[in-house]
Amino acid sequence: MSKAHDMGGRLDPRRIDITSSNVIFKADWEKEVFAITLALGFSSLWNLDRSRYARESLEPQDYLQFSYFEKWLAGLINLLGENGIIKDGKESGGNFKKSSFRVLEAKNVKKLLHMGVPTKRDSTTEKKFNLGETVYVRTNNSNIKVEKGHTRLPDYVKGRTGKVIAYHGSHVFPDANAHFLGESPEALYSVEFKSQDLWDKCEHVEDTVVVDLWESYLEKFK
Amino acid sequence: MKKDNIKLFYKEFPSNPEARIKALKSFLEKKGLIDQKALDEILDTYQNNVGPLNGAKIVAKAWTNKKFKADLINNTDKVLKDMDLNGRQGEHVVVVENTETVHNLIVCTLCSCYPWPLLGLPPSWYKSDAYRSRAVREPRAVLSDFNVKLPISKKVKVWDSTSEIRYLVLPQQPPGSKGLSENELVSWVTRDSMIGTGFPKPPAGE
Repeated sequence: MSKAHDMGGRLDPRRIDITSSNVIFKADWEKEVFAITLALGFSSLWNLDRSRYARESLEPQDYLQFSYFEKWLAGLINLLGENGIIKDGKESGGNFKKSSFRVLEAKNVKKLLHMGVPTKRDSTTEKKFNLGETVYVRTNNSNIKVEKGHTRLPDYVKGRTGKVIAYHGSHVFPDANAHFLGESPEALYSVEFKSQDLWDKCEHVEDTVVVDLWESYLEKFK
Repeated sequence: MKKDNIKLFYKEFPSNPEARIKALKSFLEKKGLIDQKALDEILDTYQNNVGPLNGAKIVAKAWTNKKFKADLINNTDKVLKDMDLNGRQGEHVVVVENTETVHNLIVCTLCSCYPWPLLGLPPSWYKSDAYRSRAVREPRAVLSDFNVKLPISKKVKVWDSTSEIRYLVLPQQPPGSKGLSENELVSWVTRDSMIGTGFPKPPAGE
């Protein structure tokens, strides 16, 4: 079964609520959550994939009920907890080594935000698939190495066939990086699926969905 | 198989988010792990400096300059870097062009991936369960929630941004805007037209 955050294609009768669509933060506490999450993201204690995993590991009912920045906040607390910075809802007096923590200074903010955190790496292996090639998405969309681990393979494309329409070079592999198993860069492709191959009822036979997928999510089509 | 489950530390905090972040912030301050000035700087960046105007500028430039448009589509990261429009959550960008036959729509079904340096932070509907669930299955019904209706002759191509590749839609230039200068065109380009949930339109008051 797919996890709560893996929402693509889930039947949802709700209209898209486009009111107040220019409001970025609904309350001041959301600003605090956003800024502190970004700042601590530069602490070097975890990486972007880990922080996504921390957010996506909330209890399913919490994930579905929490507002967006409540999810961020809960994820952040989980990360601070597993790094020994907090314990039992309090600051921890224990094991945390401050020497390994980089405090983000105001003078570096603009520079660091501007640099970003690129995930593209030099390719060390030949890519397996060519542009235009039909590929098959593996049927198991769980993390292969870690039980209930992190992955970026959405449930709605598993076991489907699509066509490679772009190759983006090698990128850090989230399934490994989220668990500190190394960056393990892999070829990243855009794969185009016909909507009629994904859904029982599709709106238009010409419509397609393109999904970014890492090489090990894919198999040769036979 | 390895196990690496994340413990649910958040459950140990007050359930009200306002109280939660207040408690957390006071620990972090006490331990010297955050610097208020850095937090202010981050908020200033995303509230005042980075927003859809950045995306609108490159769209207007692409409409008026064929060479730029080709470069933008083929060497996106380099072009954005040269224009100082790269950065956090926009490290690797792909520009997809709307044509007479294809309409592109962007979603992130797993979280909320969005090209921050070009569009700022995403609107709340982009992060909503309804948008994330429905955009890949019934994009035309989703578009009708935005009052966008497409002719049957157009194919809808939905891009699910599952990773660090961020997408920007290059909308078609509206016929009524032909002949305007790059500067004038900037105000025609709406945020939604660069996500695919809207079209460019004349600036208010015209």
